[in-house]
Amino acid sequence: MADSEETGSKPNRWHTPYLLLLPGLVALVVFFVVPLFAIAKLSLQSGGLSNYPNVLNKNWEVIVRTFEFAGLATIGAILIGYPLAYFIAMRGGRYKNLLLALVVLPFFVTYLVRTLAWKILLYDGGPAVSILHTLHVLPPDQGLLGTDFAVVFALLYNFLPFMVLPIYVSLEKLDRRLLEAAADLYASPQRAFRKVTLRLSLPGVFAGTLLTFIPASGDFINAELLGSDRQTMIGVIIEKNFGKEFFRPELSALSFMLMALILVGVLIYAKVLGTEEIA
Amino acid sequence: MTNSNPLDPRQLSQIADLRTSRRRFISRGALVLGGLAISPAILAACGGSNSSNSAGSTATTTGGVSLESLRGSSVSMFNWPLYIEADDPTTSPTLLGFTDSTGIKVDYLSNIDSNDGFYTKYQPDLAAGNGIGADLIVLTSWEAASMIEQGYIEAWDTNLFPNKANVLGPAASPEWDPGRTHSIPWVLGQTGIAYWPSKVGGTLNSVESLFDSKFKGKVTILDEMRDSVGLTMLGMGNDPTTGPIDQELAAVEKIKRARDAGQFRNITGNSYTEDLQLGDTWIAMAWSGDIASLKADNPDMANSIEFFIPTEGGMQFTDTAMIPVGAKNPAGATALMNYIYDPAIAGPLYEAINYVSPVSGAIDYMSEAAKKSIYINPAEDSKLYEFRILPPDQNEILSRAFTEATQQ
Repeated sequence: MADSEETGSKPNRWHTPYLLLLPGLVALVVFFVVPLFAIAKLSLQSGGLSNYPNVLNKNWEVIVRTFEFAGLATIGAILIGYPLAYFIAMRGGRYKNLLLALVVLPFFVTYLVRTLAWKILLYDGGPAVSILHTLHVLPPDQGLLGTDFAVVFALLYNFLPFMVLPIYVSLEKLDRRLLEAAADLYASPQRAFRKVTLRLSLPGVFAGTLLTFIPASGDFINAELLGSDRQTMIGVIIEKNFGKEFFRPELSALSFMLMALILVGVLIYAKVLGTEEIA
Repeated sequence: MTNSNPLDPRQLSQIADLRTSRRRFISRGALVLGGLAISPAILAACGGSNSSNSAGSTATTTGGVSLESLRGSSVSMFNWPLYIEADDPTTSPTLLGFTDSTGIKVDYLSNIDSNDGFYTKYQPDLAAGNGIGADLIVLTSWEAASMIEQGYIEAWDTNLFPNKANVLGPAASPEWDPGRTHSIPWVLGQTGIAYWPSKVGGTLNSVESLFDSKFKGKVTILDEMRDSVGLTMLGMGNDPTTGPIDQELAAVEKIKRARDAGQFRNITGNSYTEDLQLGDTWIAMAWSGDIASLKADNPDMANSIEFFIPTEGGMQFTDTAMIPVGAKNPAGATALMNYIYDPAIAGPLYEAINYVSPVSGAIDYMSEAAKKSIYINPAEDSKLYEFRILPPDQNEILSRAFTEATQQ
């Protein structure tokens, strides 16, 4: 390092970081800024700014439902994913890698096929429904497909690894000596968990939440395959109607709304969590 | 089992399909009448881009293009899945036979899965007059009508297409393409109703079974406006070939009320066959070709699920072949359609793909079993309607109403 400093041509060195940044920057502009601009422009056609309130009015229920489903799926993923990640990180021992591989394994099968496979498990004549009927958990005339439960459950399932992996990473790098210190200071295990482990793993939970909630909000496959017209999410509306030219400005406005609402939600969430490491 | 079977992309398209011209009684009787209706005069009037030569002859010269001169050239075709034998162009007897007899190679791709999607993708190139890499494309009639109106389609070379006279009478001269100068049907399909007789406990024959509260929660209808609105209109005693929009909106209202009452298990396009196959759906608004394939792929189910064209009538769609502007080999494309419009060639093709042949006389070249198949040869008394071609403003009004009633 010191060597290169001496031999390197000094006048050039200032732009090295910028050069390194260039590929990413170009990709960002080409694949993100340009399309975003195009959509923004499209959203202002035929109807102009009024597309926004219009689309909000018409799709209010769908928007609320979308965030409800994505939110429930995210909470479910935390409830299932955190203990799982904790177990792997703290008690996994030499099976750690194997356990992590098992978490990821189902995802070697394509998204679509996995979701369709759930259809076989959840259909009215399938194993899940007959077990639930036998146990009287589900009324005899009630099935699982085409219900909110099926869609939320499928979202949870499909995004679970995106919750488990970041939490695992934050728990894995946690300095165990801090826990020993807590114990030395007479903290009960519960208290040590709350004050040390949980606090220090919050960035992982935060990252996992973003990785789960944001794509789940835009998802349409689960709602379309396992839900029905009563489980329509924003993604479904866009997917089904974007081919019709006269719908495009409104649908573009709708996707901007979705983006804005998610952004606001995430900012509030970051504020509430209040961890500086997150920002 | 739940593979998104090959029908799915097709269904999407079909959904999009219904057309306007008054088309009913698709039957051999009608074919004969139709055959008469297509007079040489119409054919002459529909002269292609090049010239009007003696019609009907196997003349091989037209404005300088002869069939012989096309030997060694190749034709590129974009089509929907399952519209060629076994969906495999490399082994398709039809395409191989064409190459054998003309020396023209066919580069065939099953790459169209939606009319809207196709339009979105290729419209800029078509508007600029650039080629899109295809000499032949197949789109549903309402989209075909719009493409022709916008000038995106080239005319047939009439002299290379003597067999055009074999088009079924009712499909011979729609308002949007008088005399079929720019388009020709590739397949005819129907939208009717499929159901499980064992689950509904009897035989059904009416559109109204979709709305019968006895079957609440066990019914699916299609998210394709022209199918669902059209069939509902027939059940209400209205004619989807003529509208007017009030009656169409009344049908949308009826669908909305049924949906609010929980009548429908789902309103979907590409996955209704799965629910039907699993038995979760008892009664489904369905496309004929899907049910034919579903039964063919699952012999054990062949007797469990029945398909019918309602007594009030069924909807029909016509997927239509055309030459896009900028095509490199329009003459070769015309020659291919001429080949397929030979009844002896069309017979086995349509028997294999399970759709109604638009080629008059093709049925004579099919097996006895195929002649009895309602997918290939619907009963003479089944009434089939194509949805009227909506002017853009009415299309928008109806599409919005339908979207609100079925999705939001």
